[in-house]
Amino acid sequence: MRTDVLHAVRLARIDLTMLGRNQTALFNVVLLPLLIGWMYTTLAPEQSIEGVPADLFILTGLSGMMLGFVVFVNLVNSFTARREELVLKRLRGGQSSSVAIFGGAGLSAFALYAFQTVLLSVWISRLGDGGMPSNIPLMLLTGVLGVAVFALIAAAFSGITRNAELAQISVLPVLLVVIIGSPVMGPLSVFPEPLQIVSKLIPTTPVTEIMRTAYLGRDFIGDGGGTLTVAEQWIEALPSLGVLVVWVGVAALLARWLFRWDPRHG
Amino acid sequence: MSGLLVEAPGSGQDLAIEVGGLHQRYGNFEAVRGISFTVQRGELFALLGTNGAGKTTTMEVLEGFTRPGDGHVRVFGLDPWKDRRKIRPRIGILHQDAGFLGDLTVQETVTLWRGMSADAGRATIDNALALVGLESKAKVKVRQLSGGQKRRLDLALAVLSRPDLLFLDEPTTGMDPEARFATWKVIQDLKAQGATVLLTTHYLEEAERLADRLAIMHEGSIHTYGTVDEVVSGAGDQVAFRLPMSAAQAKERFAEGLPFVQGIAPIVTYTAGGTQVVYTLSEGSEAARAQAAVRSLLAWADGVGVTLERLEIRRGTLEDVFMRVVGEVR
Repeated sequence: MRTDVLHAVRLARIDLTMLGRNQTALFNVVLLPLLIGWMYTTLAPEQSIEGVPADLFILTGLSGMMLGFVVFVNLVNSFTARREELVLKRLRGGQSSSVAIFGGAGLSAFALYAFQTVLLSVWISRLGDGGMPSNIPLMLLTGVLGVAVFALIAAAFSGITRNAELAQISVLPVLLVVIIGSPVMGPLSVFPEPLQIVSKLIPTTPVTEIMRTAYLGRDFIGDGGGTLTVAEQWIEALPSLGVLVVWVGVAALLARWLFRWDPRHG
Repeated sequence: MSGLLVEAPGSGQDLAIEVGGLHQRYGNFEAVRGISFTVQRGELFALLGTNGAGKTTTMEVLEGFTRPGDGHVRVFGLDPWKDRRKIRPRIGILHQDAGFLGDLTVQETVTLWRGMSADAGRATIDNALALVGLESKAKVKVRQLSGGQKRRLDLALAVLSRPDLLFLDEPTTGMDPEARFATWKVIQDLKAQGATVLLTTHYLEEAERLADRLAIMHEGSIHTYGTVDEVVSGAGDQVAFRLPMSAAQAKERFAEGLPFVQGIAPIVTYTAGGTQVVYTLSEGSEAARAQAAVRSLLAWADGVGVTLERLEIRRGTLEDVFMRVVGEVR
């Protein structure tokens, strides 16, 4: 177990080193979602949403959508390219376990996601009504579960993606669902009926709602919108956390079924 | 001969690898057809064969990459598939084809690997690179290395933790002669230090030079095996000469064909320099048979009035055995 953790940390560090050397990838996974968030704030139709300034409402809910970029797109590309270039084969031929190899990828994605969330928090804190997050542990747990879900979905998706070039395209449907279906610009109740159904099913919705609640200390999971204590935030978030746990299970099964270590031929 | 048992001398305790009746299928295709062999600790065993012979499949089963099909497979007495985590720290693998993280430097690659290898703590990065002659490339990104240099880096990673058992799948492919000699030296040094090596190669010279024992595989089966001397002695002696005439001239002059010697037909090769004729005598032939063959050929040459240029009796080579195995099956 200790060895797995050590190996995962080393692999994650290497992942981050390489991402730092690839400016295009760095822009796509780290800055693009923040740019989209900024664009959303300029497009917000009203001054306030659910009693919160529009820009604050949007930015505190950006975390769900960020998972699509920093975890899903990043890892589908990484898994697919490394499989086709036989890097996964090399890693698997070494002394690292499969758990450590996956863990390293997940850990690097989580580190990026945490960094992005910190950037976002700094941004929010500089808004007029912004401040520091109300419930950081709840945000952390939600982030861990969100990263786990999307890392596993990315592993599954890489298995059905033929090569690194096609990975740029194969991620688009999921990315679109994440961008459009996440309740970033407004609560679920304002979405058209069909989109509400889609939105309720995708894992970014609970992440968005919990993160917003945990950041602002107000209920954006239920219908209330009222102020919550830290304990009440946890209680209110429990069903959504449960949904995320179920998603982790489903995504793990999908990854187990679809992920491939060896290149796809033919 | 698919079930041929290639038994190493020594007891089960001394065995690093045991393979018994291994069958490996991919769908309807049977890549390995009931092979059996053992490799003793400290031994260098080579698997030779054409592409698709089943060498790499066998390697991958032993390395724990592929679940064994039918048959018995043990590495240090353990199941390489189920006991992968116990076995991996004791083995080093040089894949036939495995990629690198191209954006890392050579030094970063070795550092990463060292961090993930048991017992690699004592191996310094400089030593590992010096071992394969890549010291000057330490700061170079891996994607900028030539094919041969990547192969040397491969070797550095495989031997980094000083493994008890080394799997080398075509280790010198793509290397220039100097790098190949250097690689052979590394392998010989490791073996001298007690490492067991399972080697696959297309280069027969490599097997002749390095292997204690070898097996020739073709189409999923082992067709012949033993020490290099044992295998080569089975090739039989050869009587060879050259006719100083072109293919057309030879065909016209010997329309009825060249003579059989001791019931053996010649193998004729037409080259720009003339017509090369080779008789391979029966396996394990003795000097007396070779002399008799030469006498009958000289008598034939006198009779037809032709000069046998560069007439020689030579020992069969590993290449002869290899080609015969491949030819027989075809």
